[in-house]
Amino acid sequence: MWRWLAEATAVLAKDWRSEARTRYALNTLALFAVTTLVLVSVGLGPLGVSAAGAQVLPFLLWIVLLFATAAGLPRAFVQEEETHTATALRLAARPSAVFWGKLAYSLSLTLALEALVAPLFLAMVQLEVASPGLLVATLAAGGFGLAATSTVIAAIIAQARARSTLFSVLSFPILVPLLLLVVELTRDAVAGEAAGPALRQLLLYDGSVAVAGSMLFPAIWNP
Amino acid sequence: MAEIGGGIGWVVAVNLVIWTGLFLYLLRLHRQVRAGERRSGGPEGSDR
Amino acid sequence: MTTPTIPPPSSHPGLSPAAAVGAASLWLWMAAVIWAAFLWAPPASGFKNVYSSRILFFHVPMAWVSLVAFLAAGAWSVAYLTRGRRRRHDRAAAVAVELGLVFCLLATLSGSIWSRLEWGAFWNWDPRQTSIVLALVFYAAYLALRSAVEDEPTRSRLAAAYAVLGLVVAPFLFFVLPRLTFSLHPQPVVNAEGEIGMDPRILVVLLAGSAGFTALFFWIHSLACRVRRLTGGNAD
Repeated sequence: MWRWLAEATAVLAKDWRSEARTRYALNTLALFAVTTLVLVSVGLGPLGVSAAGAQVLPFLLWIVLLFATAAGLPRAFVQEEETHTATALRLAARPSAVFWGKLAYSLSLTLALEALVAPLFLAMVQLEVASPGLLVATLAAGGFGLAATSTVIAAIIAQARARSTLFSVLSFPILVPLLLLVVELTRDAVAGEAAGPALRQLLLYDGSVAVAGSMLFPAIWNP
Repeated sequence: MAEIGGGIGWVVAVNLVIWTGLFLYLLRLHRQVRAGERRSGGPEGSDR
Repeated sequence: MTTPTIPPPSSHPGLSPAAAVGAASLWLWMAAVIWAAFLWAPPASGFKNVYSSRILFFHVPMAWVSLVAFLAAGAWSVAYLTRGRRRRHDRAAAVAVELGLVFCLLATLSGSIWSRLEWGAFWNWDPRQTSIVLALVFYAAYLALRSAVEDEPTRSRLAAAYAVLGLVVAPFLFFVLPRLTFSLHPQPVVNAEGEIGMDPRILVVLLAGSAGFTALFFWIHSLACRVRRLTGGNAD
């Protein structure tokens, strides 16, 4: 069990080390997110604080996050295929360690992205949040779901053609329940309402994707 | 399109689409079965 | 492995006598359902457009079949992954998705035309319409994945994994959607099928139609699988 943990941690550390060298994913994610945010704010303009606008703003936040992760996260696996290190990875660590290591990596990227995007978004559209605690919980749980799904789908598309478009095509149907739940929760957080069953369901979604992903991963990863 | 005549008309149209589409598809499958059998000399195929 | 043989008589046109009888019965059954849908069943109450409401007897079974197709594809995908990677299972899953897509498309189109006639709008985003369009998108994604992988074993296992992932995530729509869309829309569409089930004749035709369409699905499915096998693996 400790060997497994060591392997998973090694995968995580390796990805962060190579990321630290180029900072490619971080830059891509940050640049994409900030650009989109500016676009959204410019587009909204004076609508930002009106009643109609307030309803749609939580949704816009998550759309930005969704597209940013779609732009930046698949690299976790695509890069292994492109640099031909995938085979070495298959030999060096068992599948579950690879899965959880990559998931941890994607999760850390996603949480970093959210830490950047969420405050920026709230400031740029002048949205006040009545229950910041709920928002943080939603971002954390939603971020986990995003990262878990992205890890599984990235592993799938890394072995296919037309990777970047295929990633979005495959991940968005799977992410719909997550999107619905996090938007509902974000709206609740903004309005200061209690979470309701949505938070429970989001955590259930996270768990289901993580478990299903870890069970499917060996079949996806190994020929 | 809300009058009585139109009301049932489009239902019939949908049915026509379904059943002729199905018929044509089955015809196509039938032709493919014949072609496949002719080519390989009999009904067969491998599953592994 | 391929030695020319004289095909036994019962193999042409691909149906054994028992299967031929089965197919004929199915066609008779469907003919009866169609007749009943147009002439025997009473018009459904609660709809202002009585004649249009007969689409119900076709729309509902087709939506039902697309659900069956989804579950079947998921089951065959699980079988593929867990029972020795048999091509038969992958082929069955792929065909199920393709057929499911067609039924889903027909159900969506008939449903939205009906919605326009009855409630004035092609689209309401109520739970059922939302889930059927999501199913459509998912099927299309599955087929896009299949077409993006050249190597056959890789294609099969990746597609199977994706199908299972979809199967895991789909139930969430069942409890998330009703909560979200109820708050925005009135309930006529969602409840309609519950209310009209009241008249026994309508219920009978609905059930008979659903059973018939389901049998039709599996019959076409087995034919299509057989054709694929004959034309060489997963070639179309």
